[in-house]
Amino acid sequence: MRWLTLYARSRQVPASFAAVVISAVAVWALARDGGGGPGDPRLSALVLAAGVTAASIGLGGQDVALERTAAIRWVPRRAAHVLLIGTVVGAVLLAVQTMGEDLATTAFVVRDSAGLMGLVAVGATVFGAQYAWTLPISWLSFSLFAPPSTNTPTQVATWMLLPPGTAAGTWTALVLTVAGTAAYAVAGPRR
Amino acid sequence: MNVRVLRIELRRSVALWAGAVVLTTALAFLYLLSGPWWNGTALWTAQWTSMALWTRSLLIFLWPLAVGLGALQGLRDHRSNVSELLTSTPRPAWHRAATLAGATAITLASAFGLLVLQGAVHVPAVTEYTHLGWLPISLVGALSLVAGAVLGMGVARALPSPLTPPVLAVCAFLFTNFLRQVPDSLESAVPTAMVPNRISLLSPPVAGVREVLLTLSPSVHVGQTLWLLGMIATGFALLAAATPRARLLALTPLLAGAALALLVLPSDPRRTYVVDEAAAAMVCDGPVCVTKAHQTRLDDLAGPGRKALRLLHDALGGQAPVAIRESTALRSLSDAPERPRDAVLFDFDDGVIATAKGEELTRALVAQGMAPVCFARSDNESGTSGELAGQSVAAGWVLGDLKPLGGTVHSLRDQLDLARPVWKELKALPRSEQLSRIRAMHAAAVSCKGDPLDVLAGGESR
Repeated sequence: MRWLTLYARSRQVPASFAAVVISAVAVWALARDGGGGPGDPRLSALVLAAGVTAASIGLGGQDVALERTAAIRWVPRRAAHVLLIGTVVGAVLLAVQTMGEDLATTAFVVRDSAGLMGLVAVGATVFGAQYAWTLPISWLSFSLFAPPSTNTPTQVATWMLLPPGTAAGTWTALVLTVAGTAAYAVAGPRR
Repeated sequence: MNVRVLRIELRRSVALWAGAVVLTTALAFLYLLSGPWWNGTALWTAQWTSMALWTRSLLIFLWPLAVGLGALQGLRDHRSNVSELLTSTPRPAWHRAATLAGATAITLASAFGLLVLQGAVHVPAVTEYTHLGWLPISLVGALSLVAGAVLGMGVARALPSPLTPPVLAVCAFLFTNFLRQVPDSLESAVPTAMVPNRISLLSPPVAGVREVLLTLSPSVHVGQTLWLLGMIATGFALLAAATPRARLLALTPLLAGAALALLVLPSDPRRTYVVDEAAAAMVCDGPVCVTKAHQTRLDDLAGPGRKALRLLHDALGGQAPVAIRESTALRSLSDAPERPRDAVLFDFDDGVIATAKGEELTRALVAQGMAPVCFARSDNESGTSGELAGQSVAAGWVLGDLKPLGGTVHSLRDQLDLARPVWKELKALPRSEQLSRIRAMHAAAVSCKGDPLDVLAGGESR
């Protein structure tokens, strides 16, 4: 238990969690004024991206090199950390929307939070935890302004906003989830 | 010495990365996706102003990135735990702040400059209309990236937490999105935002371009520059400030800039996006006129235009239009285009005119002269198939054979299916009866009352 508490503190978990909750509640409040209307995928994608972005700073500790010297099995812990980010971010949105306004379907939330979680894990592995947020934010802005299209490359590029059940969207999210979680679990954050 | 410091700063900071991220994201967006910036008359390489406005509209996601990357930069000292060490050095804090901000400013401004240069390579090949009115648009764009990054640095220095960069980036993203101006509107001819116009202009991105003749008015540039300078001053002061009181004071320029900007910025979207008078000036070849922005197309248009006017005169006599002009009036998406009696008004947004050459162009101009459209055709509007079929029958009557008009979303076969029965019926009538129906159709089309095809088929005009 003590290890968990210390680990959570070193990964800025309380601050990240507060940011996740605040962003979800803020967007939910905005949506209630009829900003986007129900079923608008952009707002829910934005909440999820903001959530994983806030949580991504915890993918690296105070001193990555020092942590690596600890004689514990990092792989399952790191994998659990990534999976927990996706679960919490998705769950917060689902919990917030049970209070009223429907933002997105469960399938959409599951796909997007899984894919985005993989994306920040990739970012943390490749660029380091403090730069991991650039990937989901760039990708989200790319898909927000890309015109809707039915050809596969564009569908892959805008996977976050596709309706749930679209093959291209599901597969992209799946690939990102698996690749991101595996890469982070094995390699860890970049030093 | 200073150059050496700057070089070290460039090597040791995210400055170069920030420039690279901004440039590659923007280029990837422009070149990998085919959106409205590649289509129609207002595509991003159509004219200098369009190029400047389209590249600046990309700030909607580049600006939040610049803010976030600036914040990362501002966290560096905190991350390496040297803040305390550095306060003990005799060198004033603003020296270090200046090198840090300077390196990022240089890379971000050059990244935006390269993006504009990339557009500038395309433009001269397409248009002969050269002017410098577009330059302030791009300069304010580059300044806004610098201002965003410096503000990000300052805020991160004041609130040193790893959470600052992502939170700032997401907040900036929300800021640019909620204040976004949208060009496609049914109510307004110029881009408008959900929030009051003055507030929406505090966000650096501009709307995408739908009308090639639109440009930003000078008061917008002045107001935005004031606001951005205030932002830079605050960011810089936050970077150099050490005490909480100095940090609070550092917010003054930001507030002052906002207040001044709100005084200067226009409150009306119509005075934000104005018609570029120089670009809209008419260049004529006899009775055929186009705007200066489309001067290159005059040569192709003059011959067919003269021929079309001659044919129209033979067909309509005294009621025939005597000139052909490009339309310059601003129009929202639902409005009917202008239809004067004395001139044929056309728009290069209309695929029927824009894609036609030679004989086809004569036919398209005759069609537009006989039955000017009430429902505009463009990339965002489809027109009606009845109107199009009516136009092809009218042009066919003048030229002697029925041919469909290409370049629209309606298929040629559907158009002919609609037009052929009317055409057969019309040709079977005696000459005088044909003439009276044609004249009735012309009158109906000019006053926008009734479908030209119905009138040609003998129906009453409403």
